[in-house]
Amino acid sequence: MAYPFQLGLQDATSPIMEELLHFHDHALMIVFLISSLVLYIISLMLTTKLTHTSTMDAQEVETVWTILPAIILILIALPSLRILYMMDEINNPSLTVKTMGHQWYWSYEYTDYEDLNFDSYMIPTQELKPGELRLLEVDNRVVLPMEMTIRMLISSEDVLHSWAVPSLGLKTDAIPGRLNQTTLMAMRPGLYYGQCSEICGSNHSFMPIVLEMVPLSYFETWSALMV
Amino acid sequence: MAGTGPGARFYRQIKRHPALIPMIGFIGLGMGSAALYLLRLALLSPDVWVLASREQPLTVPLPLCSWDRKNNPEPWNRLSPNDQYKFLAVSTDYKKLKKDRPDF
Repeated sequence: MAYPFQLGLQDATSPIMEELLHFHDHALMIVFLISSLVLYIISLMLTTKLTHTSTMDAQEVETVWTILPAIILILIALPSLRILYMMDEINNPSLTVKTMGHQWYWSYEYTDYEDLNFDSYMIPTQELKPGELRLLEVDNRVVLPMEMTIRMLISSEDVLHSWAVPSLGLKTDAIPGRLNQTTLMAMRPGLYYGQCSEICGSNHSFMPIVLEMVPLSYFETWSALMV
Repeated sequence: MAGTGPGARFYRQIKRHPALIPMIGFIGLGMGSAALYLLRLALLSPDVWVLASREQPLTVPLPLCSWDRKNNPEPWNRLSPNDQYKFLAVSTDYKKLKKDRPDF
């Protein structure tokens, strides 16, 4: 989950998110280098007593500042495209879970083996127990087995919503009348929080998503109890 | 006059400003890649009806598409599990994929 004064991305829980984290570091480093270079050059320009007022011809420097940015852009584009294609790979999920966005809660359906449906409402701030996170906790968490590829099918019953879990690098729009698919794979157990990411009315900020990743045996026990 | 055609003017411009050469090169690369990718989508995307009844796949095992709605009505059905649908395969080995759908 996010913490106060956080500057970077949340710790990665899925392999794709790890790739995204490293790519973000790479791209941000390039951005910092270019920005500091530009800032330095501006400061040099502003603090020099030299002037040159006639028309200048500058073929060499123009060649350099055409080729170098083109190379930098290619160095950003290639890893980016690689990760983009990686996200779309075929991965044979072992479980399918459906989630429907409503105003203003999420409902989940695990219908592979039994008929398990439940709604997931945010816990109001007044009813939080000590230690719980404001605007992030829900009454029924989405319990899922860890280290297994899970197919998430996402849609909406009314208006646009978006099902997002930043720690897993997931954000998929929930569009009424359309079924969107994303794959989820958590490498470690734990609680992973997300919030609705498409404006959907007055309580758009109050319909969070909580994934509880547990070992498979715990998941089987839980789903037997919930049916 | 001899030296005023567009080619001649272009060469004189380039000689005066050789820094334009890398720029033309990179822009050509970008636009060329975009055009080639569009061509790939048009010709090889199984969601698109484009080419005249392509009954056989190309020598490289790529998916098919067809102009011809009569002779190749549903090009996406001719995609086998081993055809590489995406442009870039990072870690999927298409040779190893199995078909787990029932036949029609």
